[in-house]
Amino acid sequence: MDISKVTNEKKLQLCRTYFIAGLAFLPFLWTINVFWFFNDAFRAPAFPEQKRIKKFVISSLIGALIWSVILITWIIIFQTKRAEWGEMADRMSFIIPLGIA
Amino acid sequence: MDLRIIFLLILQVIGFNILLVAGQSQRIKDGMYASISGASCFRRLNGTHQTGCSSSQFGSVGALHLIQVVEDFEFLLRNPPAPPYAPMIPPHLFTRQNMLRLKNEARQNITVVLLINDNEKMTQFSHELTCPNQYSGLLLPNSKETATCDTQNAENAWNPWGTGLLQEDFPFPIYYIADEEEVYKLKSCFQKFNNFDYSGHATRSLCAVEVTTFMSAAVNSEVCIRRSNFINNLARTRYCDPLEGSNVYATMYPRNLSSSITEEPLEIRSDPNEKFILISCRMDTASMFDGLGLGAMDSLTGYVTLMSIANTLKQYLPQNFSELTRKLNILFVVFNGESYDYIGSQRFVYDLENLDFPLPSTLTAPISFENIELMIDIGVLDEISAINVHTVNTSAKAESFAAELNAQSQNFDIKFELKVGTNIPPTSAQSFLRKNLSFPALILNSKPHNRYYHSIYDNAANLNFTYGNHTEQNYTKLMSTEEALQYFSADSVQMKIRNVSTSVALALSQMLFSKGPLAKVYASPVLVDELLHCFLQSADCRLFKDASPVNSLPGLPFPPSRYISVAGSPQDSSGWTYRVLGLLLSTEVADSGEEKCGPLPLQWITGQKGAGECRLTTQNYTHALSPAFLIDDYDWKSGQYSTWTESTWGGLKARMFLRPSRVHEIVTLSIGIVVLIISFCLVYIISSRSEVLFEGATTSSDALTAPTAC
Repeated sequence: MDISKVTNEKKLQLCRTYFIAGLAFLPFLWTINVFWFFNDAFRAPAFPEQKRIKKFVISSLIGALIWSVILITWIIIFQTKRAEWGEMADRMSFIIPLGIA
Repeated sequence: MDLRIIFLLILQVIGFNILLVAGQSQRIKDGMYASISGASCFRRLNGTHQTGCSSSQFGSVGALHLIQVVEDFEFLLRNPPAPPYAPMIPPHLFTRQNMLRLKNEARQNITVVLLINDNEKMTQFSHELTCPNQYSGLLLPNSKETATCDTQNAENAWNPWGTGLLQEDFPFPIYYIADEEEVYKLKSCFQKFNNFDYSGHATRSLCAVEVTTFMSAAVNSEVCIRRSNFINNLARTRYCDPLEGSNVYATMYPRNLSSSITEEPLEIRSDPNEKFILISCRMDTASMFDGLGLGAMDSLTGYVTLMSIANTLKQYLPQNFSELTRKLNILFVVFNGESYDYIGSQRFVYDLENLDFPLPSTLTAPISFENIELMIDIGVLDEISAINVHTVNTSAKAESFAAELNAQSQNFDIKFELKVGTNIPPTSAQSFLRKNLSFPALILNSKPHNRYYHSIYDNAANLNFTYGNHTEQNYTKLMSTEEALQYFSADSVQMKIRNVSTSVALALSQMLFSKGPLAKVYASPVLVDELLHCFLQSADCRLFKDASPVNSLPGLPFPPSRYISVAGSPQDSSGWTYRVLGLLLSTEVADSGEEKCGPLPLQWITGQKGAGECRLTTQNYTHALSPAFLIDDYDWKSGQYSTWTESTWGGLKARMFLRPSRVHEIVTLSIGIVVLIISFCLVYIISSRSEVLFEGATTSSDALTAPTAC
């Protein structure tokens, strides 16, 4: 979909849908939302729906950032402690590496 | 010039090159690499550790470095110029001290170790522990220390030359190259490219090997079995398999078949009046390298002795059980996996306790501990003329049997000496004694002399065996000493094994039948000769052929593998053991054609005449899988049962090639990156100036009609 050819009203609706959908533990959806509507929210000339779009974009951005902090922390902890945790870590994994603890 | 002509010219050149390469029909890969054939060390795991070797996932590469004297190791340990290296080590330098130094001090500099077959200076080569099966035999009370072997003092141990390297974990692959030509290929490549100007190693191409023997399993058996069994193991990866095979057993006299199959399961119990003498040995051996290791002295002598006893006793004892003066049947059991903490005998004992032996499908009553009157276990017979009869507790039975053995062996140049005490050799009897210390077990074992215990060099030469090849002789026929000496010299291994088995058979015959043979005929050295030939030289031999069904495929022209291995492996040795015991202990049924010969226990086999004969057999298999894998929630660290598993792997291969210097590699990569960047720039320039370059050409988008909606 070419976002530049959509009416402002439709843009707001889309941005809102993406934000709400992202609440279902889908931080990547928020990230996409940020990239997609960043220009409309901050760089395009003012239009009536811009304020609300800006609000959704900022919320998505904050959400995505919090999520990435959580994910990065978890990944670091899991990768460094996996061998130590033994059976519990194996049960958490879908793919267990070959040849190492 | 026209662009088209240039383009055509380029195409022509490419085409011509392809033709040239196709003419030589050599792939670039084959031009770069020369494959090296050999055998690899691999990973085994037990309840607490991983042992053996593994390469890195996509192969370990190291520059060749020949070790000729022990000082050559210093080069690898003290900042070599172009690591990593791959030392080529001859067997006499493959010692515990040197290998642990490489493992601990040269981790960064060593990626591969090649063991080359150069046995000139070798005087010993055994990588088993000094106390084999140290943790699974009789233990000191309330301790995990063995009660049967002196771990502190190697000279008093059961394998004084053992280095214990089989139980070490190496961070690099170890690859054994047996073939002389391959060794020559490696050595000459090393001389040509590596063996000069050592300080310049970093700046030139070096001859290197790449060994790929990556092992999937890690940590210990508990972890790898758990991972293999995971429900969320999406890829269905198997990490390791338990060591598993079959024991083979047979009885001297057929046992009573229960009349009906519909007996209530509750009534399954052993018959207290049925008594046995159990004669056992092991069928397996071990070594560090995949597919190699004949175990000639460490286990085959005992195995052949058991077979020879079976054949001799069959002819000494009367045809019918009722004619015996003492009503004792003889149960022969050949255990598998004994090298790995007594897998076969532990399972056998477990089955005895649970009344699971023999299986109900054999329609015979189960056997329990109480049914076994005496166990005679044949251990290692390195020195065949002086044999110790070990027993933990002295008993009248043991003493009388040892005295009988000594009396019978007078004419056979052997001394049997009774040794009482817990200092017993590492054999199957330990599994029985562990359950019941007063179990009546006698172990025939000689003082250790084998310098190649559980190794690739325990072969026919170690046993000093040469095949007599008396094909015209009937090998089951017993013969007098004079006749035997016509075929084999008195100090040959064939005669020595014949002497032991004769003594044992005579003693047993006295015990059960109160009389020896009518004529002075004794065990046949020809049978010993044939058995050793089949197991040490070629499975395509007449004994195996005679023991097989008519028109079955012959054995392969090399010795059968005697490593227990895992489920799904060929299991050659148990198959041949089954057939040979079947041939030696069965009775021919007269007047029975092939079509009338059946069902089991009647079997139609080739026989010595080659035409096929119907035989009433008694032999069968039992499962040799450690009880540890059967018990739910087994405590892997308890040490109660064997926990050995073998890692799975993708392939074991090695190849030799010229490894470019680091500088060369960096230059190649840099050129590649520069070309990539230049090509991006070029494409950008061309596309930004496209109007100038392709003047008058229509753009591709002109061909499309504008979308109506916009």
